[in-house]
Amino acid sequence: MSKIIVMTSGKGGVGKTTSSAAFATGLALRGFKTVVIDFDVGLRNLDLVMGCERRVVFDFINVINGEAKLNQALIKDKRIENLYILPTSQTRDKDALTREGVEKVLNELSKDFDYILCDSPAGIERGALMSLYFADHAIIVTNPEVSSVRDSDRILGVLNSRSRRAEQGLEPVTQQLLLTRYDPERVEKGEMLKVDDVLEILAIPLLGVIPESQAVLRASNVGMPVILDEVSNAGLAYSDAVGRFLGEDIEHRFVTPQKKGLFSRLLRRSA
Amino acid sequence: MSIFNFFRAAPRASAVQAKERLQIVMAHERAGRSGPDYLPMLQQELLAVIAKYVNIDENKVEVKLDRGGDCSTLEVNIELPAREQAKAAATAKPGDKPAGNDDAAAKRPAGGAVGNAGAKKRI
Repeated sequence: MSKIIVMTSGKGGVGKTTSSAAFATGLALRGFKTVVIDFDVGLRNLDLVMGCERRVVFDFINVINGEAKLNQALIKDKRIENLYILPTSQTRDKDALTREGVEKVLNELSKDFDYILCDSPAGIERGALMSLYFADHAIIVTNPEVSSVRDSDRILGVLNSRSRRAEQGLEPVTQQLLLTRYDPERVEKGEMLKVDDVLEILAIPLLGVIPESQAVLRASNVGMPVILDEVSNAGLAYSDAVGRFLGEDIEHRFVTPQKKGLFSRLLRRSA
Repeated sequence: MSIFNFFRAAPRASAVQAKERLQIVMAHERAGRSGPDYLPMLQQELLAVIAKYVNIDENKVEVKLDRGGDCSTLEVNIELPAREQAKAAATAKPGDKPAGNDDAAAKRPAGGAVGNAGAKKRI
């Protein structure tokens, strides 16, 4: 039986797809058979971030509608063993996601996979609701910024009332915070909310802090999950977060400003 | 940066303001979520009854539910219009303080009520 994870946030542009790609890759790197599903029907982007956009023939909606078999739509990652992508439709809209259809696909996937990671669209409408409905675990992607924190709180409310686990009175969906685009230098100047501030407000456990990093854009430019950039702070932070998700005790890095040595000042290399 | 800025007191860090604003707005929103279902209905029906006797502004009504250890407090705050006040005081509650707010608090025991500070609904 596989575990279903939803990567969600309420607000758009905070790093759900980047985090989904990185997290799914991280789980596969640790030997778990993992599939990452794009729930953003009509605005598909996971394929681009994962670098498999030219290999999409059939998609999630085709499988739901019975127009294709699941293994025709699944794309096997070329870099990592055990990693698969289920892209979504670029032409249909979110009404194509039916609860029965999604359930059927998830049931079929759970026979084969250890982890099913659902990349939620922004908002709290159908696509987002469908992506979180069947989840066992939720990773809340939040930026240290007022609108993102508020929307995250809203989505926590939705998870607690409208998920399958909530509706059926089962054990609640576990919720963990992934704080992205964190800039310790701005935090030090008092210009950005601290990790502790966000934790105090949202009151959920911290899975990881991903520092603001130029590596994220560079990685998406070339269609590579940023976790594979093993010299970048963001890549390392995602790797730590995956470890923590799996129960390892890993200290948080990149939450205080890094002291720049003379060498790095001269080179002006930013991670 | 001009030399004058140097002597001016440092402005309050914007992150501190962000946190405070978030805490306030989210306290309201969470309370709205966790409050009992009947609260909005109760508010509307109470209003309808009061509106039969007093001309009230619907925007100046506040219904609040506070949960303490072993008792819950339902607080209804209705601001009465200044001109109507004398009449209102005469018909609704003689001897009420003339300054403005009309408080009606109903207390009921709620065995083992848990949860945080209270519920607040606005029309």
